[in-house]
Amino acid sequence: MDRPAAGASYQRFPRVRIRELRDDYAKFELRDTDASIANALRRVMIAEVPTVAIDLVEIEVNSSVLNDEFIAHRLGLIPLTSAAAMQMRFSRDCDACDGDGSCEYCSVEFLLSARATDSDQTLEVTANDLRSADPKVCPVDQARAYQQALNADYDTNAGEQRGILIVKLRRGQELRLRAIARKGIGKDHAKWSPAATVTFMYEPDIRINEELMDTLTLDEKRSWVESSPTKVFHLDPITKQVTVCDAEAYTYDDEVIKKAEAMGKPGLVEINAKEDSFIFTVETTGAITAYELIMNAITVLRQKLDAVRLQDDDGDLGELGAHLGGP
Amino acid sequence: MTVPPADDAAKKELPPPSYRSLAAPVATPVDKFALLPAFLKVRGLVKEHIDSFNYFTTRGIRNIVEANNRIEARNDPSIYLRYTNVYVGTPSVQVDYKIENITPHFCRLTDRTYSAPIRVDIEYTVGKQHEPQHKKNVLIGYLPIMLRSYACVLHGRDEAELARQGECPLDPGGYFIVKGTEKVILIQEQLSKNRIIIDTDSKGRVIASVTSSTHEIKSKTVITMDKEKIYLQLNQFTKPIPIIVVMKAMGMESDQEVVQMVGRDPRYGDLLFPSIQECASERIYTQQQALQYMDEKVTYPGAGNQKEGRSKSILRDVFIAHVPVKNGNFRQKCIYTGVMLRRMMDAILNADTFDDKDYVGNKRLELSGQLISLLFEDLFKTMNSQAVELMNKNSDKTRSSPSDFSQLIKHEAITSGLERAISTGNWDIKRFRMHRKGVSQVLSRLSYMASLGYMTRITPQFEKTRKTSGPRALQPSQWGMLCPCDTPEGEACGLTKNLALLTHVTTDQEEGPLMNLCKSLGVEDLTLLSGEEIHAPGSFLVMFNGLILGKHRQPQTFANAMRELRRSGKIGEFVSIFVNEKQHCIHIASDGGRVCRPLIIADKGISRVKECHMKELRDGIRSFDDFLRDGLIEYLDVNEENNALIALYEHVDQDDVERSSITHIEIEPLSILGVVSGLIPYPHHNQSPRNTYQCAMGKQAMGNIAYNQLFRADSLLYLLVYAQRPLLTTKTIELVGYDKLGAGQNATVAVMGYSGYDIEDAIVMNKSSLDRGFGRCIAMKKYTVMKENYGDGVSDRIAKPQRDKDGVLLRQNMRALDEDGIAAPGQIIRNHDVYVNKQSPKIVDRRGAGALLKDMDYKDSLAIYKGVDGETTVVDRVMLCSDTNEKLSIKCIIRHTRRPEVGDKFSSRHGQKGVCGTIVQQEDFPFSERGICPDLIMNPHGFPSRMTIGKMIELIGGKAGLSCGRFHYGSAFGEPSGNADKVEDISNTLIKHGFSYNGKDFLYSGILGHPLEAYIFMGPIYYQKLKHMVLDKMHARASGPRVLLTRQPTEGRSRDGGLRLGEMERDCLIAYGASMLIFERLLLSSDPYQVQVCRKCGLLGYYNYKLKTSYCSMCKNGENMAKMRLPYACKLLFQELQAMNVVPRLKLTEG
Repeated sequence: MDRPAAGASYQRFPRVRIRELRDDYAKFELRDTDASIANALRRVMIAEVPTVAIDLVEIEVNSSVLNDEFIAHRLGLIPLTSAAAMQMRFSRDCDACDGDGSCEYCSVEFLLSARATDSDQTLEVTANDLRSADPKVCPVDQARAYQQALNADYDTNAGEQRGILIVKLRRGQELRLRAIARKGIGKDHAKWSPAATVTFMYEPDIRINEELMDTLTLDEKRSWVESSPTKVFHLDPITKQVTVCDAEAYTYDDEVIKKAEAMGKPGLVEINAKEDSFIFTVETTGAITAYELIMNAITVLRQKLDAVRLQDDDGDLGELGAHLGGP
Repeated sequence: MTVPPADDAAKKELPPPSYRSLAAPVATPVDKFALLPAFLKVRGLVKEHIDSFNYFTTRGIRNIVEANNRIEARNDPSIYLRYTNVYVGTPSVQVDYKIENITPHFCRLTDRTYSAPIRVDIEYTVGKQHEPQHKKNVLIGYLPIMLRSYACVLHGRDEAELARQGECPLDPGGYFIVKGTEKVILIQEQLSKNRIIIDTDSKGRVIASVTSSTHEIKSKTVITMDKEKIYLQLNQFTKPIPIIVVMKAMGMESDQEVVQMVGRDPRYGDLLFPSIQECASERIYTQQQALQYMDEKVTYPGAGNQKEGRSKSILRDVFIAHVPVKNGNFRQKCIYTGVMLRRMMDAILNADTFDDKDYVGNKRLELSGQLISLLFEDLFKTMNSQAVELMNKNSDKTRSSPSDFSQLIKHEAITSGLERAISTGNWDIKRFRMHRKGVSQVLSRLSYMASLGYMTRITPQFEKTRKTSGPRALQPSQWGMLCPCDTPEGEACGLTKNLALLTHVTTDQEEGPLMNLCKSLGVEDLTLLSGEEIHAPGSFLVMFNGLILGKHRQPQTFANAMRELRRSGKIGEFVSIFVNEKQHCIHIASDGGRVCRPLIIADKGISRVKECHMKELRDGIRSFDDFLRDGLIEYLDVNEENNALIALYEHVDQDDVERSSITHIEIEPLSILGVVSGLIPYPHHNQSPRNTYQCAMGKQAMGNIAYNQLFRADSLLYLLVYAQRPLLTTKTIELVGYDKLGAGQNATVAVMGYSGYDIEDAIVMNKSSLDRGFGRCIAMKKYTVMKENYGDGVSDRIAKPQRDKDGVLLRQNMRALDEDGIAAPGQIIRNHDVYVNKQSPKIVDRRGAGALLKDMDYKDSLAIYKGVDGETTVVDRVMLCSDTNEKLSIKCIIRHTRRPEVGDKFSSRHGQKGVCGTIVQQEDFPFSERGICPDLIMNPHGFPSRMTIGKMIELIGGKAGLSCGRFHYGSAFGEPSGNADKVEDISNTLIKHGFSYNGKDFLYSGILGHPLEAYIFMGPIYYQKLKHMVLDKMHARASGPRVLLTRQPTEGRSRDGGLRLGEMERDCLIAYGASMLIFERLLLSSDPYQVQVCRKCGLLGYYNYKLKTSYCSMCKNGENMAKMRLPYACKLLFQELQAMNVVPRLKLTEG
């Protein structure tokens, strides 16, 4: 690719259309931009959007079957509501507490105390047993249960809100601990990653060659439509027309193209990926909402770009300067 | 004439079976699989060990005591002791005259032996009148008890009761606990006893050999053919004895009779002729002459019975010792020799009648019960002879009233003898001149599979260094008996074997009733027959456990009758009846150590097991034993398998001709594999060595060891934090409980190249997966500290950590200690921390000072933890117990949780091991449109040369299993019977759930965001983390400790040793000419030393620091001294040479 003259603008104006937005799920289109931007967004969502997660555990009593590190590890992986994480400080650069993690700016304290008493049943210690010092930061299941309790008209299904299992206690066993949650990013440890799934796909552009299609018999059409593992095409039983019913279901598996070639009709369908439009699927762990995840990701990405720009002002781009086209 | 008509007829009747039809699928599929769990429920995984030990405790021990039940004083036989009964009690220990019952787990934790008292009832004489007295429950020793045997407290317990005893219900038992360690007595492989083996020796001569074994004697008889003449070789004779002489010595004086005994075929006569001629040329015609001739050749003449001549007693007692001589009648031995000769000549005339030593039917497996009974017999006899010895001593000394024998029986000999043998593995039995090492081994608890593998292992008797390929090769007769995959690599390859899943090893059965039964079924006694009649055409010899019982005229009828009796349960189910058409013999075997396996009986190809039987089995009305009792299933040993035609599945087409010749049907083809190879999915799609590699690696995989793993006190224990059961299972996995005690995790694997850190089988791992717990493991190590007693109340003491006035520890490395001076459970412990603050008395030998020792009299003898710097480890548990010597032992178990790091070793279940090459952030990993991101990336170059198709099928099978929510199966050869999912079905499932049929996915690059140019083969594969971890192996040193003697750096990682620049490296440097580097490496960095050398005498002097001069003690002056540097080891060598009166002189020149 030719490098345009210095000073030429690459600026494009990407558009976003949100298709579906739920608390922990979002599907949106990102158009008029490159794979690099789409991927940068994805990477930031996975690795650099901050959340709060338990990072330090002081175990007072643990007579459960799982050892201390095991429980600490499990506690760390519990998603905590971290809507406020963007405003919090990293404990390493917290001035108020010098990073020892016991101040309101950078950490939240949790207490857990559970003891299986005389009953013969095992006691399940779940994330719901964690008592938070800060109501804003609590395990996501607790938060959801609280939300549902608020909407009292909503039928609270207690059975489903059991929370994430930490350990099962037998009669006489006890678990008592103090945990401190801190802000962090997914790059350091996966427990701070708010994303369960972040993925995108190129939007496929499917064009059926109608003329060729008409030459097919109904049986041939049916077998061709069924050759796709996902349901992309639809054969109308009345009009006998093959239409694209769900282009995005197409997984770029080339099955239909191969099938067409096998049937002796190459070029029956033409499928291209639109290089500048992406369909994102975002699922979160519940730590933050999908909307927050996307917005925070954009904020973080901007901050990073700002950092680059500030360096640019200093005129010292280092290695990056060389990449941007020399002096 | 030699070809019997029966053989001809048989050949006509049996058209060659077409193997395609044998493997044809089942017409009305009777799901016989349920028989496998039923079998294992009845017999268990280690049934052979337990059966054999049970046989010993119930029958064997009784036989031994009965055979030696009377001891009497040598000078007065009326003083005697007689054992009237013997029994093994319940496992217990005697503590302060109190008997306490013990459990296996208690023994493991407290370093005790799990043993039960052997008690006897005795009758003995007391007083001058020798009045008989009776005494019951006399202890004669403690016998280590095999877990889950009849004598064990765990026998017949259900899961809840086992849990209460601290025992894992999945633990198979079959091992011993001696001094707290679990010991397995490995199965020993031997050549059959008391059987004729025709073979060639190293010089190519034909030999017939018999290893006879009776209770009294073991001997080896060899008959060789040398230069057309036949000789007998026995250790007792200096020279080979012509066989005709031997025959004559046994009373067969007529040559005609000898020839008839061998067989009247002229070819036999021709072969015998030179031998007869030789005998005649020696002028030996009568028994007397023959015996005289032999007497001259006896190795140790003089000793032995002079009355009847040495050679006669040798012939009676040593020569084919297992053939009895009744009332001086050698006829049986003559007949036996005749048969041996006949077999030899058959082999000379027709080379395929040679016996194959590697044939499994000619092998016997010696199990723990037999080995212990050998040992016990020896110890019991020793105990008795010691008692007699003592009695003699007593009666010699005091002529007064003779003491009674019951006082003289000491139980320590048997107790310590058994304990020592099992704990060291050295089986030394003087009587049989048996000195075996490594009979018992420590049961490896590295993984559940490793311990199961130990229980099925068979060790060879050959030396491993032999380069022969014969015994190492896979034998066709191993089919179904020994696992074809599970054998180690390297020197023991093919020699150490493992039992297959359904194999059973027989124990001895009583011979008497069986012999009588044979006689009543028409076996004619040989003593009444002439040689001519014995070898009459059409009549078969009946051999019973290697003895010639007689002959039968209708062998097939006889065999069928015997088999019918066995199937109806009238005789033992493990008795084998084998008609050998070639040798015209019927072999009946009831001896122990034969391998056999259950098969479904088929009548003319129609399985006797019908759907109704299987339904009854599933409903729990019918057990495996009922199948045996009803004659639906029987055990066949390797020899009898030769008389059977075994189909894999029941036939389909009803009118097939060969169908009628099928006699048995396999229960399940997967049972030809063993326990360890049974966990490989689709092993029949892999290249064979890969399965062998996996068998070795499955034993190194970390996972769950047992349900009681956290209460055990193993010296080293590796556990996986989140162990999973494999997504693609096999039936064997479910049978042995691997699904409950898995050793691995299901990783989503993408087969692609990534980053270049995946060459040479390295794998790339996803950091987020590791964060979430993939491959995380716990290493627990036991550290034992003994509190020594020095007598007189002087002992070590455990002091509490010293603190200053403010309660601050005086020494920082005591921070892990509790107030009692022992590390507190749950404390973090780091390198150089103290875990037991032990102090020892400075002076040990001061008597009677026990209570008076003051603080000053103790010196520190701390137990310091040696760990890895920078790693945090935690004290998991502390156990205090007193051992058998009443010493306090403190066991600290220290736990370390590790996450995978670069260099840790992983492996799939297909012999594909690799180390972690790099760890990559999740965002850099490829991802699919569904958002799937692999845990692990494997390089596709691992496939072409390894040809592990099974791994590919595991991947797509696992992927299909994930999508449809059903565990898929990949049992060996399981496709026709539905125990393995077919690739076609798997592909259909994948398509149904929107995946490509071939398991490939469309992935995007995580770094650039653009689609990858190829479809990526991606799905779950069960990955094992192996015990080899960098943390335990990495080692580097700049400077450090040195050896005291040579002042050179220490050797080995454990001593923080240096890295040696060896001879070959040195050669390279010499060749390169890097002399200064050599100088630095070999002197400066090793052991530089400055010496004073006398230039005149060339010997080493010394430097006097007071006078600041050097001095030569040889020349007695300080002139001519030179300073030089040389390696300390060199100086040491000079001094050592001087000590040996060798003078090394250094000649110095200016450099």
